[in-house]
Amino acid sequence: MNPNDLPRELTQEASASALLAAVREVAQGPLAAVVESIDRTGYYPRAELQQLAALGAMSAHLDGPAGPGDFGLSIRAMAEASRVCGATGFMMWCQAVCGLYMQQSGNPALMGDALMAHVRGGTLGGTALSNPMKSYAQIESLLLKATPVAGGYIVNGSLPWVSNLGPDHSCGAIAAVVNGDEHVGREVMFLLRCDAPGVELRECPSFSAMEGTGTYALRLKDHFIGANDVIADAAKPFIARIRAAFVMLQCGMALGVIQGAIDSIWEVEAQLGHVNQFLEDRPDALQAELDALTARVMALAETPYNPSVAFFIDVLDARAHGAELSLRAAQSALLHQGARGYLMSSAVQRRVRESHFVAIVTPAIKHLRKEMARLSAEVMPA
Amino acid sequence: MNNAPMPAPTPFEPSTPALGQSQPPLGLSLSKPSPEPAVQALAPWQQYICEACGYIYNEADGDPDGGLAPGTRYADIPDDWACPLCGVTKADFTPHTPPSIDALRASIAHSAPVATRGAAGVLIVGAGRAGWQMAEALRALDAEMPITIVTACAGDVYDKPMLSIAMARSTALEALVKESGAAAAARLAVRLLAHTHAVRICADTQQLRTTRGVLRYERLVLAHGAQAALPAALPAALCWRINHLAAYQKLRSALGKTEETGPKDVTIVGAGLIGSELANDLALGGHRVTLLDTQPEPLARWSAEGAGAQLLDAWKDLAIQFVGGVQVAQLEQVAGRYRITTSCGQRFAADQVIAAAGLATPPRLAQSANLKWDNGIAVDPANLKTSNERIHAMGDCIAINGQPSRFIEPIARQARAIAADICGTAPVPYEPRAAVVRVKTTSRPLTLH
Repeated sequence: MNPNDLPRELTQEASASALLAAVREVAQGPLAAVVESIDRTGYYPRAELQQLAALGAMSAHLDGPAGPGDFGLSIRAMAEASRVCGATGFMMWCQAVCGLYMQQSGNPALMGDALMAHVRGGTLGGTALSNPMKSYAQIESLLLKATPVAGGYIVNGSLPWVSNLGPDHSCGAIAAVVNGDEHVGREVMFLLRCDAPGVELRECPSFSAMEGTGTYALRLKDHFIGANDVIADAAKPFIARIRAAFVMLQCGMALGVIQGAIDSIWEVEAQLGHVNQFLEDRPDALQAELDALTARVMALAETPYNPSVAFFIDVLDARAHGAELSLRAAQSALLHQGARGYLMSSAVQRRVRESHFVAIVTPAIKHLRKEMARLSAEVMPA
Repeated sequence: MNNAPMPAPTPFEPSTPALGQSQPPLGLSLSKPSPEPAVQALAPWQQYICEACGYIYNEADGDPDGGLAPGTRYADIPDDWACPLCGVTKADFTPHTPPSIDALRASIAHSAPVATRGAAGVLIVGAGRAGWQMAEALRALDAEMPITIVTACAGDVYDKPMLSIAMARSTALEALVKESGAAAAARLAVRLLAHTHAVRICADTQQLRTTRGVLRYERLVLAHGAQAALPAALPAALCWRINHLAAYQKLRSALGKTEETGPKDVTIVGAGLIGSELANDLALGGHRVTLLDTQPEPLARWSAEGAGAQLLDAWKDLAIQFVGGVQVAQLEQVAGRYRITTSCGQRFAADQVIAAAGLATPPRLAQSANLKWDNGIAVDPANLKTSNERIHAMGDCIAINGQPSRFIEPIARQARAIAADICGTAPVPYEPRAAVVRVKTTSRPLTLH
């Protein structure tokens, strides 16, 4: 039967499961083969990421000619990869939100061919929004400063720890617009190209895991950004529009790490079930909690641009739940596997460290809770 | 790993002199070219903290791996030096004084506890009168049962009706608190999580997700009350809603003391019970009040009993201007004051604006547990149980047969009915009855049915 003859809903469903099956094949094949070196020796999986991008795994959430994007599908694709390699799942998120910035910018220079290259994996990129997100949540102040000049801005400053970068990569970044030393109360968001003049990537010291995530400190010295680079000027309304989508997409990483941990528990159940029965957080209970969380995330993914505060709190809480359950599931997997899970080469051992990453990467559990508390407080006159 | 001999880091040992105050060895940096080398060399070594990652640069230690010899002053660090942890430059460093462990311990003593594991017991959401009455009723029946209260406020015990008469009585703000939350929690052996927002009920796993962690429960009692409803024309940041002590305290401090800063113009939107009581109290407290309502008279719900006419008569010598039959169309800030415009074009200027347009139950928690909803959380009238077997609800957040009842009197009876149900003692069924309303308009107290 010709797929074109099928009702649209069915073809979409078929292509969604086809996409997930293809992602699973990459994850459990070529990706599984390099997961150790990504984690420990800093192998950056460019080829694997490009393969995933070519499948459409990091762009399902983008609007296309066929209709609005499917955030649930992007999240599920990210979860399939994270189930095998948390670092790769994280870089898929980086690539996915970078594409989101480009598409939502409305800037023709960042859409069209540039976006298509990004979608296909021809270009790779990340997001330098950890610092601005914390700034908007009143946790820290902005590190990049933009001085207006003819035709654009000159940006100066340094950012620590930006991921999925490389010499030919790019990332979304935000700078405070300044007049001399004075912040004028507006920020500009732009696509920062790592190979542009005035941009320097600096190596970071070793992390406890996920070494191959292309994570660098960024140093900008009199770096010029022009109209072709601007994602949003002013940045705040733009961030307000995409913040729920931004946080929601990260749930894919958590869902995958949790599922991977549950897989590891089942691996030893036949052999060790007789003693593992005495542990808390058994695989069936973890799976039930994961399934409920997945259903919750999928429901949220149907309205990624819902502007209400109540919705954003819901997204923040789902993300927090994902981080908390990642920690519990990874810890439980280690207890279930015992000594074999304590081997440095064990996936269980690696996943414990990946779960720590899910819990501390921006927005970390503590940031999520602080932001929920801030947004829950009744607004009153100053 | 680290070839520079470093003293063991003991920042939490009060007896250790803070590194920032140690003296430089004489002569060490005398040869460095700088404007006043002798003065600089004698100054204590300073510390600087990386604002991006928290790395602390100690002038005494330098950063030998990064090319800075021990004794390199911050001022002498080249601009292209990179933070060894995160790579930012010296521009993102600020001076750092290591805090003492005593100061750190003191600062954490006042912060709220976080959720911890333990026996689940009964979890109460809300520490207003309903929450505390619930804890009292449970404790009366069971001395051992673990009870936890989660509340967005401080948890202090106070009488909300007093907020309507405190100015006329010149009650000091501190005197409104009858017992601190911590003291009440200690007296009742309750774990109190104050300043903690309940975010979601996971009914399948019997967990409450909060902004300080996840709490398990055997039984959950929702006593979180209602929230002031805000008419669409009134931006939240421009008007007060007085439904709890903290908001009242902030309003009072914004108004200032009349004997010091003079009377203020206060506009109150809504002339129901709360609006009328506040208007009465603010006027007796020396302020000039404009009271607006969509109805032609105040307390219009009791117009059959002539409540509005009695009130207006009692107010004729007070600075209360009642304007009925108007709809607020806009509230804006103009030159530090507020301007209210009605849909019929009337304008009122005010120093403070209060919205008193009724209450509504926030639906978040009930929705997250799929609780039956009927103009509030629907409960069984006899035992106050919601549609979920393990969840009760009481006080301002519930509705019985679609009817909320936001008065004080039923609360203690509701708490006893729930406590009996939870503890399995002989049922003490709750009986909804029509409330007798005592209007605390002190210039003429009214009793309404």
